[in-house]
Amino acid sequence: MIQLKNVNKYFYKDEPRELHTLKDINLTIKDGEFSLFSGPSGCGKTTLLNAIGALDTVDSGEIYLNNKEITTLSENERTQLRLQEIGFVFQAYNLIPVLSVEENIGFIMRLQGSSESEIKSRVFEIANLLEIDTKLQSLPSTLSGGQQQRVAVARAVASKPKIILADEPTANLDSKNSQKLIDMMRELNEKEGVSILFASHDELIAKNVKRVIKMEDGALL
Amino acid sequence: MFSLALKNILFYKGRSLTTFLLTFVSTILFVVYVSMMDGSHKSMLENALNIYTGAIEIYKKGYRDIGGNEYYIDDVSSITKKLSRVDGVKSFSSRYETYGLLSTEEYASASMIAGIEPLKEREISSISKALVDGLFLDENSKNCLYMGDGLVKRLKIKLNDEVAFIGAANDDSFAADIFKLCGIFKTGSFEFDSTVSFITKTYFDELMLSNNKASYITLKIDNLENVDRVNKDITKLLNDEELESLTWKTLMKTMVEAMEVDSIFGYISLALFLIVIFFVIMIYGFINISSRIKEFGVLTSIGLSNSNIMKLIFYEIFILTSLAVIFATPIASYICYYYSLNPIVIDGISDMYKDYGIISDEIPFDFSLFTIGWNISLIYILNILSVIYPYFYIKSFTPIEAIRHV
Amino acid sequence: MFKLILKMAWKNSFLRLSRTLLVIIMIAVSMSMMLGIQGLYDGMAENMIDKSKRSDSGDISIFAKDYRIERDIKNIIKDASSIKKKIEILDGVEAVVLRLSADGLISTARKSSFSIIRGIELKDEEKFGRFSEFLKGGELNLSKRSAIIGIELAKTLKLRLGSKVIFSTQDSSGEINSIALRVRGIVQTTNISLDKNTIYVDKQILHKFLSVDETYATQISILSKNKELLSKLKQEYPSLDIKSFFELQPMMKMMQDMMIIFNSITFFIVMLVVFIGILGVMYVSILDRVREFGIMLGIGMEYKYIRTQIILESVIVSFIGYLLGAILGVAVLLYLNQYGLNLSSFADALESWGMETVLYAAIKVSYFSSTFFAIITAAILSVWIPLRKIKKLNPVEVIKAEK
Repeated sequence: MIQLKNVNKYFYKDEPRELHTLKDINLTIKDGEFSLFSGPSGCGKTTLLNAIGALDTVDSGEIYLNNKEITTLSENERTQLRLQEIGFVFQAYNLIPVLSVEENIGFIMRLQGSSESEIKSRVFEIANLLEIDTKLQSLPSTLSGGQQQRVAVARAVASKPKIILADEPTANLDSKNSQKLIDMMRELNEKEGVSILFASHDELIAKNVKRVIKMEDGALL
Repeated sequence: MFSLALKNILFYKGRSLTTFLLTFVSTILFVVYVSMMDGSHKSMLENALNIYTGAIEIYKKGYRDIGGNEYYIDDVSSITKKLSRVDGVKSFSSRYETYGLLSTEEYASASMIAGIEPLKEREISSISKALVDGLFLDENSKNCLYMGDGLVKRLKIKLNDEVAFIGAANDDSFAADIFKLCGIFKTGSFEFDSTVSFITKTYFDELMLSNNKASYITLKIDNLENVDRVNKDITKLLNDEELESLTWKTLMKTMVEAMEVDSIFGYISLALFLIVIFFVIMIYGFINISSRIKEFGVLTSIGLSNSNIMKLIFYEIFILTSLAVIFATPIASYICYYYSLNPIVIDGISDMYKDYGIISDEIPFDFSLFTIGWNISLIYILNILSVIYPYFYIKSFTPIEAIRHV
Repeated sequence: MFKLILKMAWKNSFLRLSRTLLVIIMIAVSMSMMLGIQGLYDGMAENMIDKSKRSDSGDISIFAKDYRIERDIKNIIKDASSIKKKIEILDGVEAVVLRLSADGLISTARKSSFSIIRGIELKDEEKFGRFSEFLKGGELNLSKRSAIIGIELAKTLKLRLGSKVIFSTQDSSGEINSIALRVRGIVQTTNISLDKNTIYVDKQILHKFLSVDETYATQISILSKNKELLSKLKQEYPSLDIKSFFELQPMMKMMQDMMIIFNSITFFIVMLVVFIGILGVMYVSILDRVREFGIMLGIGMEYKYIRTQIILESVIVSFIGYLLGAILGVAVLLYLNQYGLNLSSFADALESWGMETVLYAAIKVSYFSSTFFAIITAAILSVWIPLRKIKKLNPVEVIKAEK
């Protein structure tokens, strides 16, 4: 479960161009949610996602990830948190170009110290689910945009995080591939029980999620 | 991280190849250059040492600084008795050196005349081997002179010619005699060959009233590496405040210093090359790493710690350096080894630098695994240092900044 | 249009500040170090040559025909004084000195050594080669039986100021003669053969001692920048042995040549590596902006403007590196020129080599001009390959394609 209490964030704090990007955010996200932060460009949805994912800091307020307060963690502790509990899918440049699909998917599990056999079976399982099992030995540069994003999702979910944060995952995809990606992510949400939070202004995602959290000017609507 | 580093090296061929080549070239350059420098210094010292100066020499204190008859060793036999008991001493001999005037009918020249023990001298120094004409001395040579070819030219004499000698005996009285030229030597040391003559000490002692006296006692030891230890033993054994036992390091201090100055200049030039190469390796490393900022941002986001990133960067440079070193070291070592056994010969170089004590046209290299070892270590250190700035550059980005980097 | 290109080039050069700064620092540090080393080596060589000329042979030396083969007092220049007067008035002649020398034996109470006695006129030597600059200890006093001695000879014989020495040699009639002298001064000319062997006395005293006419001399040394003088003198005095400095000291010429070769090789290698550095940065910088260039071509900008911009970028960064390197280089060279590199802990060795313990650097404009040309050439050449890539670009494909 994720809880945000009175979270505020500013860009360029105390400068003339100060921006109040997150305004008094109070929010609870239950386990297994399949939700979307939506809103126009610059509304703060990515900033909110990054704050939840311990990628970015906040200026005031508290964020709890499974009852653990994360805003006061050190840089190393936050990195550890991201390694163990959070998965990320970005808009682009997710994958390590020199590693094969199989190695990319298993990368986080290797960082976590899983055994080779565990990694192998988990990778096959997820790759199957996301229909990229035929591409396991390929390099990312040989894949289409849609395939690359699916590999990114596979990597994010392979290590069994509690939550996956996806920032504009469909921005570089056509509608067919976008739908395919969303479908697969929903399947993962249902099968694996992992919470998935999107930040996007893609209508297709909005149509497919269970909950839409609207934002405007840094505040929840 | 290691396998990821390997893959990155194969993927980013431009950087890898340039770093490899630069490291390869700088390793060979460094090792070969140092080997050549060390080799030529060693050979200069050995050549000079072999000619005449002993590994260890025993003097009465004051002889070297002030000189003169009061500072000759008075009781040679008591010292030589003790010397035969010292471990590491191969052989020893006493020498009585003095200065005098040698003249023929037309020409005259100053000379250092050294009374030597010919049999022992054969073992200790290489002056007997420097013979070019006539004969070396033996115990029965009487008034035969064994003279340097430069001096022979100055006096314009030939073998069996007679030469008059005037000098001061050990009791400061005049000493004069007629010597005969029986042998001519050429060591290659210009100064030595133009100023030195040798005569049998037993004969000379009668003339100079120097029986059981010597300017100094010269020693040859089994192994030059042990010279300090042996010298210590000798000093202890002699146990005489008035005597000093000196190693070649003191005796040839000027030459040793000269080597050091030469080395300094050599290293300064080398430093220039290495610094320039260091900068270029750093630049290529920096470009490569900074072009992967987004990638590093993503990696940090998904949980790669700073220490892992440091490991990754370190492994990359370590592998590249090692590859270059693995190829370069055998080549460089072989060059050093080959030229240590078959020195480069530059005709005329000894002529050119004779005033500086260079007596041979050969430039041998020095083959030393220890030297090669520290050379390579330095290359490693430089290459690792070259990624410090790029690492801190990456570290300065937060994950978000890195991901958003254009 | 050119102004706009220049502005774009300028801004693009500093787009990636870290990268640009690294290249600038690389050029600056390499250049200043190299200049320092070159200056030091040149300074050493020049210093040695200058001192050798001033203390001994000058630019041209005249000897009697066989003197250099057989250094005997019988091989003497008989009308040296009149020759000197005639040469002094020639075009371009700065100074002329006469010297009388003889080989012999120098002895103290304890030691003797081979030595050369040289009769000089202090006033003339001062005008000729600023002899007073060679003084290491004591005073330049050759009155009565005073003598000045070379530093290495002083070391060999363990002489101090006030020490008494006896010099013996054969005079002009073949008789062995001795003269007692007192050491009043010690000189270091850095001319090894002089410092190791020579004792200087008043020329008139030596003439008397050797029973040699005062108009005779064993050597006439001339300082002159006139390049024609040598051949002129050879024609004028065919019976005499007339040699230029480098003819007398071929080793100095060889050393000078070796110094030039060494400096050139150093220069070449350093510039090559600098070129590789600039190449790497420019290559990546241009490749990063392939899309941008594609768009520029697409909207109608001619290739030649892009080429100019890219060349300018490379030249701007390299030039700034050169400027910084030149400033650092000047600072280093000025310091080394004024204060020198102090190697007095190696005094013994250096003196025996005929070098001073403080090494001063030379400063030449050519250091800066040759480096300038090399760096600018490297800058222009380094963009050749990436430019070829840009030239082949198809704007549409570039805009469409992902990086």
